[in-house]
Amino acid sequence: MSEISPEVPDNRQDAPSHVDPNSTRITKPGVKRLVLTLSVLFSLVLGFPFLWKSVEIYRSSLPFGEISEMESNPSLSFPCRFQAVFINFNSNPSPNHLQLSILDKITELTSNSSQCGACANDLALSVTVDSISSCTQTHPTDNSNYYRCGAISAVDFDFSNDDDDGVDELLESVLGVKNVYSVVVVNGGGEGIRAVVGKYRHAWIVGSVEEEEEESVLVSRVAEIFVKMFVNGGTENGLIHGEFMPVGADRRIVLSFNLLNAEPNDWVYDWDFQRVDETLLAPIIKVLGPIANISVESQVLYHTPKSSFSYWDEKWKSYIFSTKDLPFFVNSNEWHLDTSIAAGGRSKILQFVVYVPSAKECPLSLLLPTGEISKTNGFISPMWGGVVVWNPPGCLNSETNHPSRHTMSREDLQAVFEVFMGQFRQLFGLKSNNLYIGASGTYHLLPSGKGFTEWELDVLSRQFACFNLHSCATTLGSLSRLVQSLPRMIIMDEIGKLVQFSLEAAKLAQSNASLGDNESSAGQARSLAEDAFFHPSIMSISYYSFEHCFAIYSPFFLPVSMHVLLAALREWKRYKQEKAKYTAWKAKVKVES
Amino acid sequence: MMVRCKMYNSFGFKSLAAMLLFFILSISISFNYRHMANTLSLYRTVKRLGIPDERIILMLVDDMACNARNKYPAQVFNNENHKLNLYGDNVEVDYHGYEVNAENFLRVLTGRHKAAVPRSKRLLSDEGSHILLYMTGHGGDEFLKFQDSEELQSHDLADAVKQMKEKPCVSYHKTRFKELLIMVDTCQAATLFSQLHSPGVLAIGSSMKGENSYSHHLDSDVGVSVVDRFTFYTLAFFEKLNMYDNASLSSLFTSYNPTLLMSTAYYRTDLYQRKLEEVPVTNFFGSVMETIHTDLAYRTTRSRKTSETKMPLQQSVEHDERRQLINSNVQDQTSDTKIEDKQCPFTRRWNAFQDKLEKIERIDSLVNYGLIIMFPLLLISTWLSL
Repeated sequence: MSEISPEVPDNRQDAPSHVDPNSTRITKPGVKRLVLTLSVLFSLVLGFPFLWKSVEIYRSSLPFGEISEMESNPSLSFPCRFQAVFINFNSNPSPNHLQLSILDKITELTSNSSQCGACANDLALSVTVDSISSCTQTHPTDNSNYYRCGAISAVDFDFSNDDDDGVDELLESVLGVKNVYSVVVVNGGGEGIRAVVGKYRHAWIVGSVEEEEEESVLVSRVAEIFVKMFVNGGTENGLIHGEFMPVGADRRIVLSFNLLNAEPNDWVYDWDFQRVDETLLAPIIKVLGPIANISVESQVLYHTPKSSFSYWDEKWKSYIFSTKDLPFFVNSNEWHLDTSIAAGGRSKILQFVVYVPSAKECPLSLLLPTGEISKTNGFISPMWGGVVVWNPPGCLNSETNHPSRHTMSREDLQAVFEVFMGQFRQLFGLKSNNLYIGASGTYHLLPSGKGFTEWELDVLSRQFACFNLHSCATTLGSLSRLVQSLPRMIIMDEIGKLVQFSLEAAKLAQSNASLGDNESSAGQARSLAEDAFFHPSIMSISYYSFEHCFAIYSPFFLPVSMHVLLAALREWKRYKQEKAKYTAWKAKVKVES
Repeated sequence: MMVRCKMYNSFGFKSLAAMLLFFILSISISFNYRHMANTLSLYRTVKRLGIPDERIILMLVDDMACNARNKYPAQVFNNENHKLNLYGDNVEVDYHGYEVNAENFLRVLTGRHKAAVPRSKRLLSDEGSHILLYMTGHGGDEFLKFQDSEELQSHDLADAVKQMKEKPCVSYHKTRFKELLIMVDTCQAATLFSQLHSPGVLAIGSSMKGENSYSHHLDSDVGVSVVDRFTFYTLAFFEKLNMYDNASLSSLFTSYNPTLLMSTAYYRTDLYQRKLEEVPVTNFFGSVMETIHTDLAYRTTRSRKTSETKMPLQQSVEHDERRQLINSNVQDQTSDTKIEDKQCPFTRRWNAFQDKLEKIERIDSLVNYGLIIMFPLLLISTWLSL
């Protein structure tokens, strides 16, 4: 039997019959759908910052402010400490008076040179007058390194002008301090004034001086030694033209020595390079250690003719090539010089070539524009190296037809290496003249067995430090400008660290220089800056452009977010509508009741 | 028969003071024989005028000489009379095949190589160098095609050149060249250097915007065109020269006849300070070294007295030290030591743990043991949860 459910009373009859479902509704509108869509939209919006952060270009922060500060002022100021000792002056001039006049002269000589390394700011001079009866000194601020009275006397000086080396050693044992340059002026000996600059950091002037006006001559000579020698290195404008520093970016130089046999069918020459390397080159390399890391290679090449022409000259009895042929001498097609394996990508290679001419062109001599024959038979090309033409002995008269093997004799090799030394110094900007003719007189310069005297090394290291610091500053400046111009380029941490270390090394170099301690921080700063600038990851073609980013992410997020947004808007609109309907009904009910 | 746009790229660089010459060529299909011939002919000319191989960077896709379709294997000609085999002897190609791409090209220009790249693949120029950059291939409005898959745009080239030379406001400025000559032999070549604005740059292109560059003649024996017009007339100009000549750049630039080229050879000199009449072509195309005579040798009296029998022991020790291969990674060492000081304890301990791990010799067996132990653990936990 099926049950018949009792009739449900029809409540709807109680409800007002004029309800319009389009404009009113009885129940409160539900919020579930609205909450659902809004929560989805919210989570999308909430996740957006995370997305943004995750696609951010990683750029290690570079200290742009510090870099531009360094670039505007990349200068090194070296302190200059001088002392002058006057010995055996019976007229007993006052040291303070001498000090003032020497200082005047020095300022006069340095007034027109504003290059790095000149004693612009920090100059101290101490003068001592030491005679048998008395000894007076000006008082320098730190007198630990300066001359002690009575250390040198006039009898130590050999007035016969023979033993310059002995005097040099003696003075070095008395005066030898690292940062102080000294000039010893001795009254005595024969006529005239003779000035010698030693191998270390001192010079001496010997002469018999009695009158007053000759004192001013001495003062000007002392000042000239200080400025022209010890500060400027024996040249007018400082050593090297700023652009051409023959040191690689990684502070390495490779010296490549090549012996070229132009025509092996005539004769073949070999050389005992090992011995030369050990005895002649090793001290030079050691002494240049603070400036550059030098390595040496050598090779012997055959069938290497030169590419310029020469002609026979009866007057000189040799084949002549002139200075106009020099640019075409190096036959790059047949001289395979740059075959170094040890040289890294950023080292500098200097080529030194000994050219042995063929029998058809032997002896080969270089004719200078002045009409004389060159004594060295060699030339350099800046930043490339040097060439020496060496004629085998007796080649004019030799009648050999078959190839003969010889080894260069010790004396010949020595002579050739002396020319090399001159060329090497020339590449660094130093002259090899033993006599310097200055405004106040001539000076004898003692040559050093190590290739460079200590004061020359000081000048070189100062100039190199200046150049390295400038180079570091401009490199860092270029890097910061490059990085700022490409805002979407990835900058790796390594570059940031290199920049930071480079700046630290540069600051260290600046502070060390002002203390007078010259070491290799500036070189390290430059090398680090170049590593940062030439880092292989800085490739502008592969930076992450905005279009690229948009093209990757929009297919994921655009359709979804569009739908979610539209849904939320629709639900919101619907909710508002229903709410409005409900409020209308409630108002109506209120009115009716 | 004229072929329209070229399909390869060919580049050449050269610089002096260190003169470097640099070519690129990118080939991937045949009918691009002539680009390789273009490049090799200019390479040969420049070598004849004195530039050595170590100063030339040649980027050549280099698949024509030994291509199965080449009727004359291992030979490349630039003239139908076949007088000169360009591929004959002494051709040193620095970048081959897939290495010829836009990235490597820009790396060579800017100098940003990985540390292991040898010197022969680097542009070893300095502040005094004169560089010749010769490009031939297929190009268009503001782009140059590489290997049919990549393009080099004119703003990329301009950016790279800008990075090579900052404005010379201070004396020690960072530059990789003193003067740069860009020669482009493609269609619409002049658009490629339209965005340049670095000083000291001179550029000449074989055609202007909207014009094509055409090949010179067809070699019916080989079956393809063998040389392009612009390059052909450039070579004709240089055949008359030798190393000692000082013909000027303006004579080269004005030697191009638009009727013969069938396009207008356009050059821009607004970035170049010197007058073209005063610049000899050998500045860029030949090798003329700056030389200074050595006046004096550096003689020391002490060296004469050195006794030959002296064999200093301490010097031989230093000598051995010097002969060792020096690993010049200074910055790595400094960075490592500095990093250690600045780490927090956790990171330090983690790094110490990682170092210890690395020092364990038989790490593979340790890992294997760990993996094997996982299975019993899994079994036990499954049994426990049941």
